[in-house]
Amino acid sequence: MPLQLAELNIGDSLVPYTSSPITRTDLVRYAGASGDFNPLHHDSTFVKTIGMERVIVHGMLIMGIAGEAITNWIDFKDLRKFNVRFAGMTEPVDFDDWENTRQRATITITGKIKNKFEENGEKRIRCDIVAKDGLGNTKLRGFFIAALQ
Amino acid sequence: MADKSKLGYEFPSHRFEVEKGKIAEFAMAVSQKDAPEKVNPIYTGEKAAQQAGYPGIVIPPTFPTSVMFRTGGGLMGVVNALGIDLTRLLHTEEEYEYLGSVCAGDALTCRMKVVDMYDKAQEDRPGKPMEFTVVETEMRNQRGELVIKARSILVER
Repeated sequence: MPLQLAELNIGDSLVPYTSSPITRTDLVRYAGASGDFNPLHHDSTFVKTIGMERVIVHGMLIMGIAGEAITNWIDFKDLRKFNVRFAGMTEPVDFDDWENTRQRATITITGKIKNKFEENGEKRIRCDIVAKDGLGNTKLRGFFIAALQ
Repeated sequence: MADKSKLGYEFPSHRFEVEKGKIAEFAMAVSQKDAPEKVNPIYTGEKAAQQAGYPGIVIPPTFPTSVMFRTGGGLMGVVNALGIDLTRLLHTEEEYEYLGSVCAGDALTCRMKVVDMYDKAQEDRPGKPMEFTVVETEMRNQRGELVIKARSILVER
């Protein structure tokens, strides 16, 4: 059930959204869906040529997960702007070492109402968001702007 | 090293048909689900989307990235056209402005343009600046309405 945005106050936190541990299968599915076939995200022989140990998650998949969080919080039709700055890389979970690697691949999105203002004849809110893994490492920071109905 | 003469370059415009199946695939990918039945029904069902107040099956908020990745010959097309070194490439910032709804059956015409290119010194790597390329994409629907503005910042480290 989307939030009643009008009832939110500056400083209020939104209910955190947590992903499943991101697998390599998730990366392949995202590559196909988005068209982002940078080999960095699926080809372990490519990443070795640039000195990396593992493939990394598409930053845009982390943003996509943040988008899921936002559309759990609000109706997409009220969304006006969505901005992120990427802060760190994410490695997927290793199936042969699940317990030790799942936290690095599990992303939690938090949101905090930062501002309420009028723009283009609408009442709007700005909400800051942060994505962190289960170890507390920040993956992206950003914000969204939504209209209050 | 990005070719600075490309500042202001506009990629050939690209028309993208927003297909129902593509929306469902994208929604599955960002929600980490393995079947369309498991995602938010506004991304898969016409009736559910209309009941939620959309004209039709709607795109997820970051779907415009998949439109951009098919403009300019895809990632490799863009990287090659701008002379960017893929092995140094990082995507540092992404922004979408939503000006109208985009639904299954719409056709988006995308114009992608290089709006800024600049260098920034790196403290730990003297003489090796980070090179920034800022790309903006305007997406108009089949009625000519500007529905999405996207802005991406790419960096070579």
